[in-house]
Amino acid sequence: MLMGLLDIENVSKAFGGLRAVDDCSFSVTAGALMGFIGPNGAGKTTLFNLVSGIYEPDSGSIRLEGKELVGRRPDQVATAGVGRTFQTPRSFATLSCQENLLASVSSPGEGLLQAFLGSYRSHEEEVAVEATELLSLVGLGNRVHDPADELSGGELRMLEVARQLIRHPKILLLDEPTAGVTPRLQGRLAELLRSLHADGLTVLVVEHNLGFLLDLVDHVVVMVMGTVLTEGEPDVIRNDPDVINAYLGRRDGDAA
Amino acid sequence: MNWAQLVITVVTVASILGVLTLALNMQYGHAGMINFGLVAYFAAGAYTYVLFTQPPPTSSLDQYLIGLDLPVWVGFLGAGLAGLVFAAITGWPTLRLRGEYFALTTFAFAEVFHSFIVNEQRFANGTRGMVGLERPLRDQITFMDYNLFFAAAALLFLVIVYLIFERIVRSPYGRALEALRDDELALTTVGKQSSRFRLEVFLFTAPFAAMAGAFYIWYTTLALPEIFTAEVTFVVWIALILGGEGSNRGALVGIFLVVLFEELVRAIPFTTIRAAQVAASLEVVALGLLLIIFLRWQPFANLTRVRRRTTG
Repeated sequence: MLMGLLDIENVSKAFGGLRAVDDCSFSVTAGALMGFIGPNGAGKTTLFNLVSGIYEPDSGSIRLEGKELVGRRPDQVATAGVGRTFQTPRSFATLSCQENLLASVSSPGEGLLQAFLGSYRSHEEEVAVEATELLSLVGLGNRVHDPADELSGGELRMLEVARQLIRHPKILLLDEPTAGVTPRLQGRLAELLRSLHADGLTVLVVEHNLGFLLDLVDHVVVMVMGTVLTEGEPDVIRNDPDVINAYLGRRDGDAA
Repeated sequence: MNWAQLVITVVTVASILGVLTLALNMQYGHAGMINFGLVAYFAAGAYTYVLFTQPPPTSSLDQYLIGLDLPVWVGFLGAGLAGLVFAAITGWPTLRLRGEYFALTTFAFAEVFHSFIVNEQRFANGTRGMVGLERPLRDQITFMDYNLFFAAAALLFLVIVYLIFERIVRSPYGRALEALRDDELALTTVGKQSSRFRLEVFLFTAPFAAMAGAFYIWYTTLALPEIFTAEVTFVVWIALILGGEGSNRGALVGIFLVVLFEELVRAIPFTTIRAAQVAASLEVVALGLLLIIFLRWQPFANLTRVRRRTTG
């Protein structure tokens, strides 16, 4: 069978009568920077929720490096190496940006006994340094000690990305990372994703901002009605009549 | 009004209830778990202590079956153990419930337990209760006023619990709890099992609430169902909200204010029963008003965010 970093095979998920993801299959090779497009309700976010273990598929198999993810809890999937962000950014609102990152890696101080004995200081200091560097990298260098609930929507998205990066995931799933983000931060995000890609991280991006996406990724999957319509390089997708028909729409009077 | 006596009473009661407030603050203020059945752990500890330390029934008036006649310290540890067992029994099936569902279930558990101690006379004499219980070291403390000694002991227990909880809250463990409270799904997607933290917090805090129950028995010398009602739970809740949930210091400020207020009202020398009844009602009204005022202006808001040592 296919053996990419992430293999999705015949995955289906229905909510009542709605088949949100319908017999969907594709494979992600290690190091890919891959985009997902499709109209609203095409099943892109549901697919991310299935991969990250938030939903369990009705049928099919999802494997990371050949190991089955279906049936594992979301925290186990995350520990196995899947990182993800959400369409509506999520954060630990009362914690500072730095603490948001510290709370995202496992610390020896998260055992009750170690917490009481205080045997976590050196680990904390190491991670704190890395957290500060990472925050500068995503453009939050001046926000290190500010609580997350003081950040703007765009800054929250960058914080969410940083929270996943500090965990060093094998694959990163980004759900509409540019929504609500200023053009300046979008540019920084694209730059960051390119450099992560160059370092070998596998990234999947769901995005409605086609200009941003098609310039960024090297492979595009087009989803319609819960299934893969087509996939290929951005330039091919851009000119594919089926894609234009399903997603971009036709002008009245255009020849069929 | 005897001011010295008032201070001793306030310190004693506020120290005992302060342990409950700290436990609730850990559960709700830090981990976001709404426990409306706090009194059950307090009562479980209190009754366990009584059954461990009382002699077996001798008089025909006594209907309770078990009295182990064990030393005070065994009873105190037994109370803590009972809190742990009770938390495990009630926590295991309920911790997957969220927010208000968890709140209702804990409330129901507490009411069931209360109903049990009211109706099961073979447990601790039912509504008649156990009275005239011994206070520890009562005969040995001759060098100072016993009530002052006991207030100091209760305060020492509170300080120990405070220091333990502060240490936990300021560690990565406390940070993980706050992350859980802020966004459980986000915590899950960074690879942490939220139910593990919930269960641990429940199991870890309940024994302290139960041991406070043993202190309450020492203070009142009574084990009566009517002193272990939901009112205890809600007085602690009011105190926590007054002081500002999320801060152990705030929790203590809150409980000392509430107890001081209650004891001041009780210390007013009323000449008629009617006046005392009116005052008792007004006390509840005034407590409610205080709660609204505090919620509106949050005078202790600056106390409530934990500042951890950060580096880098």
